[in-house]
Amino acid sequence: MKFLMAMALASTALLVAGCGGTAGKKGGTLTVLSQGDVDSLDPGYQYYQYDYEALSQPAQRTLYGWKPNLRKPSPDFAASMPKLSNGGKTITIKLKSGVRFSPPVNRVATAADVKYAMERDFLPQVANSYAPVYYGDIVGVKAFTDGKAKGISGIQAPNPTTLVIKTTKPVGVLTTANALTLPGTAPVPKEYAQKFDKGKTSTYGQHVVFTGPYMIPNDRSGKVTGWTPSKRLELVRNPNWDRKTDYRPAYLERIAFLAGNDLSLATRRILSGNGQISGDFAAPPVADFKLALEHYPSQVSFTPGDSYRSITMNTTVKPFDNVNVRKAVAAVIDRNALVATRGGSRIGPVATHYIPPFLPGFQEAGGSKSPYDYMSQPNGNLALAKRYMRKAGYASGRYNGPSLLMVGDDSAPAKNTGEAVQSQLQQLGFKLNYQQVPHEVANSKFCGVPKQKVAICPNWAWGKDFYDSQSMIDPTFNGKNIVPSNNSNLSELNDPKLNAAMDRAERIPDPAGRAKAWGAIDKAVTGLAVQVPWIWDNDVNLRSKNVKAVTNLFNGTWDVAFTSIK
Amino acid sequence: MTGTVDFAREAPGDEGSALIDVMPDVAARSPFQLFWRRLRTDRVALAAAALIVLLVLMAICAPLIVKLVGARPPNQQSDKYFSLGKVGVPSPTGPSSKNLFGVDPLGRDLFSRVVYGARVSLEIALAATALSVAIGLVVGLFAGYFRGWVDTVLSRLVDVLLAFPILLLGIGIASACSLGHGCLGGLIKPGLGVVILVISFVNWTYIARIVRGQVLSLREREFVEAARSLGASHMRIMFREILPNLVAPLIVYATLIIPQNILFEAALSFLGVGVQPPDPSWGKMIADATDVFDTAWWYMVFPGAALLLTVLAFNLLGDGLQDAINPRASRS
Repeated sequence: MKFLMAMALASTALLVAGCGGTAGKKGGTLTVLSQGDVDSLDPGYQYYQYDYEALSQPAQRTLYGWKPNLRKPSPDFAASMPKLSNGGKTITIKLKSGVRFSPPVNRVATAADVKYAMERDFLPQVANSYAPVYYGDIVGVKAFTDGKAKGISGIQAPNPTTLVIKTTKPVGVLTTANALTLPGTAPVPKEYAQKFDKGKTSTYGQHVVFTGPYMIPNDRSGKVTGWTPSKRLELVRNPNWDRKTDYRPAYLERIAFLAGNDLSLATRRILSGNGQISGDFAAPPVADFKLALEHYPSQVSFTPGDSYRSITMNTTVKPFDNVNVRKAVAAVIDRNALVATRGGSRIGPVATHYIPPFLPGFQEAGGSKSPYDYMSQPNGNLALAKRYMRKAGYASGRYNGPSLLMVGDDSAPAKNTGEAVQSQLQQLGFKLNYQQVPHEVANSKFCGVPKQKVAICPNWAWGKDFYDSQSMIDPTFNGKNIVPSNNSNLSELNDPKLNAAMDRAERIPDPAGRAKAWGAIDKAVTGLAVQVPWIWDNDVNLRSKNVKAVTNLFNGTWDVAFTSIK
Repeated sequence: MTGTVDFAREAPGDEGSALIDVMPDVAARSPFQLFWRRLRTDRVALAAAALIVLLVLMAICAPLIVKLVGARPPNQQSDKYFSLGKVGVPSPTGPSSKNLFGVDPLGRDLFSRVVYGARVSLEIALAATALSVAIGLVVGLFAGYFRGWVDTVLSRLVDVLLAFPILLLGIGIASACSLGHGCLGGLIKPGLGVVILVISFVNWTYIARIVRGQVLSLREREFVEAARSLGASHMRIMFREILPNLVAPLIVYATLIIPQNILFEAALSFLGVGVQPPDPSWGKMIADATDVFDTAWWYMVFPGAALLLTVLAFNLLGDGLQDAINPRASRS
């Protein structure tokens, strides 16, 4: 459910995890250059890529975490993988002892702190966006959210190092520990945080305490002092962190995250300067990307974005209620040309469906090939498209209805992609009222608002929440996820048969069964041609020459807790 | 204004005939002849006028020119004209026999986009200028002719509009009306129309002021007095007696507003609230080119040169016209 806040890229040969193995040098300051800021300091709110990079991964201990080059969860605050009983409905998690909160709390974190953290994920003042989706089937959630219970009865802490989660039915994303890696599972000390969680909006973020190797500097009361919103975020060592309890080496002494950078300038500063890495922009502008590869190839790393980009069609807007019109659009789109607008084949392979390579279910969904003729021609096929148009009742093979509203981003490279889509659709006679707006506005005011009746969104992108394909398919294609605002089912697909199949797949506990089920659903959705996925893109990460930077496969960006200065 | 139409028509009757008796070589000349004699000697203005004629022809015959040159249509996108370079990153290619001005980052032919861009620029500039002149003329006529409370109301309105930061106002209106389904319940739809409306909305005030000033002096002249004593209605006096005397200054000011409007359109498009894609606009091209300037210089240079030449030509012609119509007025 994670939008790609940044822009990503792809390649066949992936230079993964810049330098692994050898230990780094301790000490030094690293500067991270970014366009934007983190979304929130509150682990209960954090969700997006940059939140993980700047805070969740280096400064908090979630139940499970992602080691730099593993595609499965590893115990972080937990001591081992979860034990299942009662047919997968009871999950028992042993916790490490000796994990302590940063000042001013200072005490050892316990199972009760995770229980409180997960409970507050459901508080409206915390504004967590995934708790109902992934934790909604925990026993007692409804009583808690209705205000009938003080806590969630299905989350129990029988002793300080044991956490028990009981669900009403088996929940695959919990039994595999995938959804227990989310930032909202990082312990929160109730006696300290509760006073900040009162009122309309929680202010815990401004007083947040940390369990990871780093912390934001704060004053004696716990108020954060190392953060200037939209400008600068600073991390220093957490004096209460015990190296023995953690898999993170945490070489660096200080890390400064600077927001408000121009992508092009930041790219040049990082490549030619010292002690800097790229932050929230997953790929530099095409011209700078070229410069980077020509002159600083060893300072560029690619990580699979585990995401797709697509053109969405709204099935509630004519003529896209007609499956053959949608297939015609899919057939006419020259996906290679769209990939060129983002920097070419090194930015990623042409997509043929939704689940990206490296996610379970990719092969089951068809791999790189497509069983559908309209998704099999990466250069587009006008004749085939016209055949589908005729099948849809347009005798001339061309659309002749009223003009359609298309809303896309107003900055390159997304803007160029949108204009390419526009010119490709003109070949089928589509007249578009094409509007370019800032990226946030495109989603928050238009594409994510069903009432706006936007017919086409050319700049949609979706990335995984973890290595489970439910997070790729369910939020974007399940009819139950159509909401009046911040909608992620852009096509407003509401197919009863598919909805039921997705609800069934959510319950499958074993990874192999899940891969098969979600792969099959992906194939079925691709058969309805509600979107045209065109790239599985990679993130492009940049570093200065003297930075021994390590990428994190899960997050697709640098992992500062493993990075050091040479 | 000396060479007003009505005055001149009467002029040869009295003084003119007397002069002919004394100096038979001097022929009677209409104001237009005088104007043309003066303009003819202004080579710069003539060159500018020729360039403008060429531009207009280029805009009108854009499809023909593009066809003759063998260029692709302006909106046809293609990845055929990218070079992959050493590192496999597709980048637009520069001027070549296939693409005279090179291609843009979408692989579109820049030559045909610049040629078609002249259409957009001139269309908007001429339409917006005509609209501003029409509004400004009517408002100025009424304010200057009736004076009193009509003048007070209209002049204050003009003052208020002049006090607005014009570009900001333009951006505001344009962005309000170019989003979603338009504004005023869809009456103003995104596209060229909005840009024309915005530009005229902020530019008519200058014309109104000038016209009002002229009318204030004209309404005291004898021919107006005469018309009034013959019982002519207000409308007749305003539009049949006074208006013809305003034609010359209006032509001059319109010529001077056109380049302003072209630049205003470019500015709006540069800021992303003007012409909507895929219509080619010079301002928008320049804006897009800033991202890729060091790898695709041609993307900024050609639209930039077209914009510069057009604006320069209109400015020079405007100055020339002003000199020719009113040689005693200083322009500085």
